[in-house]
Amino acid sequence: MRRLYLDARNMEHPVPLEKSIEALRELDNESYFYMLHRKNPVPLIAMVQKQGLSYITEQEHEDLWHILIAVDHDIDLEKLVERLG
Amino acid sequence: MFGQQNGLSLDQAPPIRVIFRFFLIASLFGMGGGIWLAVFAGDIMTERSALLALTHIFTLGIMASFMIGALFQMLPVIAGVVIRSPLPKSLVFTLAFVPGTMSLVAVFGGYQEELLYTVAFILLGFALFLLIVIMLPGLLSVTHHTPSSKGMTIALTAFAFTFIPGLYMTGILGGFFDGSNYTIIRAIHYGFGLEGWIALLIVSISFQVIEMFYVTPPYPPLVAKYFTTLVLSLLILKVPLLLYGSESSAAAVDTVIGILLLLFALITLRRLSQRKRSVTDASLWFWRLGMGNLIAVVVSALLLKLGSFGWMLGVLYISFVFFALSIVFAMFYKIVPFLTWFHLNAEGYFSAPMMHEVIAPSNARRHFWLHLVTLTTLLLSFALPALFRLGGILLILSFGVIAWHILSAGKLYEDTKLKGEKFDLGMGMQG
Repeated sequence: MRRLYLDARNMEHPVPLEKSIEALRELDNESYFYMLHRKNPVPLIAMVQKQGLSYITEQEHEDLWHILIAVDHDIDLEKLVERLG
Repeated sequence: MFGQQNGLSLDQAPPIRVIFRFFLIASLFGMGGGIWLAVFAGDIMTERSALLALTHIFTLGIMASFMIGALFQMLPVIAGVVIRSPLPKSLVFTLAFVPGTMSLVAVFGGYQEELLYTVAFILLGFALFLLIVIMLPGLLSVTHHTPSSKGMTIALTAFAFTFIPGLYMTGILGGFFDGSNYTIIRAIHYGFGLEGWIALLIVSISFQVIEMFYVTPPYPPLVAKYFTTLVLSLLILKVPLLLYGSESSAAAVDTVIGILLLLFALITLRRLSQRKRSVTDASLWFWRLGMGNLIAVVVSALLLKLGSFGWMLGVLYISFVFFALSIVFAMFYKIVPFLTWFHLNAEGYFSAPMMHEVIAPSNARRHFWLHLVTLTTLLLSFALPALFRLGGILLILSFGVIAWHILSAGKLYEDTKLKGEKFDLGMGMQG
């Protein structure tokens, strides 16, 4: 399973969204996108919903969100979350 | 916290042309203001009506158009308030607002036709009513406000408090009402318009965007939570003080508001110096210049309370205009590329231009320098009035650049939609 990773915690808006969409275009059935962000990226999630992709968002603490997105709905994204602790 | 988020539906975002149309109208008014200044430069220092016309080109034609356009975009995003049918609603608003503003400016500018007061009164009154009906109920029904959404509600309330006495004064001039309390009503109109509507909307938006765009620490919680409420309360407190003739108390309230705005400007500059990334762009410099001008506004207003300096009133006027314009331009260079890019991506266009291709950062930087030269020229004009004409020409150029950026972005958007290649993230590339 290939992971496309983006740590966007120190990126200014809207760079994370721009980079995320670039990454999403590379996704296939054998890969998933993993992003760390300081906020819940609402516009990205809206686009992901519209495209019918599988996704989860998890807030680890106030300034840390894990966002996982895949094309293949059979991928268990919850198992792939890596909490930073 | 796993699970789906109740985010903004893309279908709820207003069409890009709604925002671009407001911005284009604002830039055309800006060019009109520049032409006015270039042509009537000699009257600005001596004719109150010329200054009044120019003031309303700025406050209504430019600022209100930019800010209402931005509100159409930001209400769904920041406050979760969805405006149904934004295209026809914004069009009807525009059809009343633009001729209403032009009528008011014409009559202030010397075209003494009483019918124009009536036209302005009816059209601007209708536009205000429509705007309040479109935006305020949704904002008031928000149960969990952020500092930004609360501030936007307060700024819009201040806009209503600005507009109502403004309409009343137009009614006096048009012969609908007698002229009692005109001076007091005018002071209320200025207070709510400049310190309420314009300043508080900028404050509210900065609570959201400074941290987001420039990766800074957030504003202090006390400031974010209470600032806009406090300023609106002080503005409301000023009304009975003015009505009952306690001018010194009203002036003291103004001083407190000024000190609060000064603190806001200093905190914002501090936050901008605490960016986690050292990347700079033109919008950052527009923010800094805007806050520098806000400081100049407050300092010159306080100095004017100590004594009368002829040129200080001019500095106050120009600094306020450039405080507001600088922030509008800072937001413009973030909003226009983002919206063009975002709408095309949301609609699935693979060949959507990147944001830096919509407006080249080098062009935004050049515009910042033009803006700075315009400010300097207009400030110097109070010592050398011959420079007003040059200031007017520079304003035409500056707003011409903005209009050109909007038209170019609009063309890029339409061209991409016409010829662009669509993709589907879930299903791979499509033709």
